[in-house]
Amino acid sequence: MRTDMDCKEVTANMSCYIDGDGSEELRKALREHVAQCRRCRVVFDTTGQMLGMVRDAEPFEVPLAVSARLYSRLEKIFSET
Amino acid sequence: MQSVDRVLAGDRRAFEALVRRRERRVFRVTLAILGNTEDAEEAMQDAFLKAFRHLGQFRRDARFTTWLTRIAVNAAIEKRKTRKDFLPLSESENANEPFLPKNYEPWKSNPEQIFGKQEIHRLVEEAIQALPEIYRTAFVLRDVEELSAEEAAEALGLTVPALKSRLLRGRLMMRERLAAALEVRPTLQKKVLESAVDLGTAVAERLMRAVGR
Repeated sequence: MRTDMDCKEVTANMSCYIDGDGSEELRKALREHVAQCRRCRVVFDTTGQMLGMVRDAEPFEVPLAVSARLYSRLEKIFSET
Repeated sequence: MQSVDRVLAGDRRAFEALVRRRERRVFRVTLAILGNTEDAEEAMQDAFLKAFRHLGQFRRDARFTTWLTRIAVNAAIEKRKTRKDFLPLSESENANEPFLPKNYEPWKSNPEQIFGKQEIHRLVEEAIQALPEIYRTAFVLRDVEELSAEEAAEALGLTVPALKSRLLRGRLMMRERLAAALEVRPTLQKKVLESAVDLGTAVAERLMRAVGR
């Protein structure tokens, strides 16, 4: 079992922790490091918070005018074919 | 796929329904690549017209969404090439260097109650738009559109490890940018105490390494 990961390596592998990728051994080493290291814990926790906020915010809706112009162009193409 | 078959059989309404279900994704993808609504709109229209005209080439063993996303990516790249200020995309000079976080303070636990939903929405959109394009596209496909790493890599014409490397950087940059608004400012006493603990941990790590554990 790896117990020698430093903070740089832990950050480089953060996505394995978030996405559940990689080996169980790696994820366990990450969990153990994060449990002991305040800075990495903050980075992991706040990245998780950021992803939750992005999901909830549902950014970049299609503006109504943009959508309307798309359908009008499609109608035009349909009528030509 | 049923709706694709209906479109191929000449059912235009089926295509319109198919567009309605995916217009937001195509818009987000083209916006992520082009960075402004006007160009994203044109690329979105081009993508759907191309998809309509080439629907016969869609392989049934692929996912329609992935096929369409790839078309949207290509339409946006084509659009970008027509810009006067066009520059081929490249990784930033220090892309191979690990991105090191600078903010180590926890965030407020209930930002929506403090800032309101609209303000959070604005903060999130601004932070995404501020990402360099190569990280923004990886972030949008994976963390906004929630494609799998394999689907996002395929849509962007990248290997999975390259996609993951861009995604990590995008996530860390997003975190840094939002931290400015969301972090809990520590008291001086807490800051001194935590610095002492961090210093102690770093010294202990170095000692452990020196003695070979």
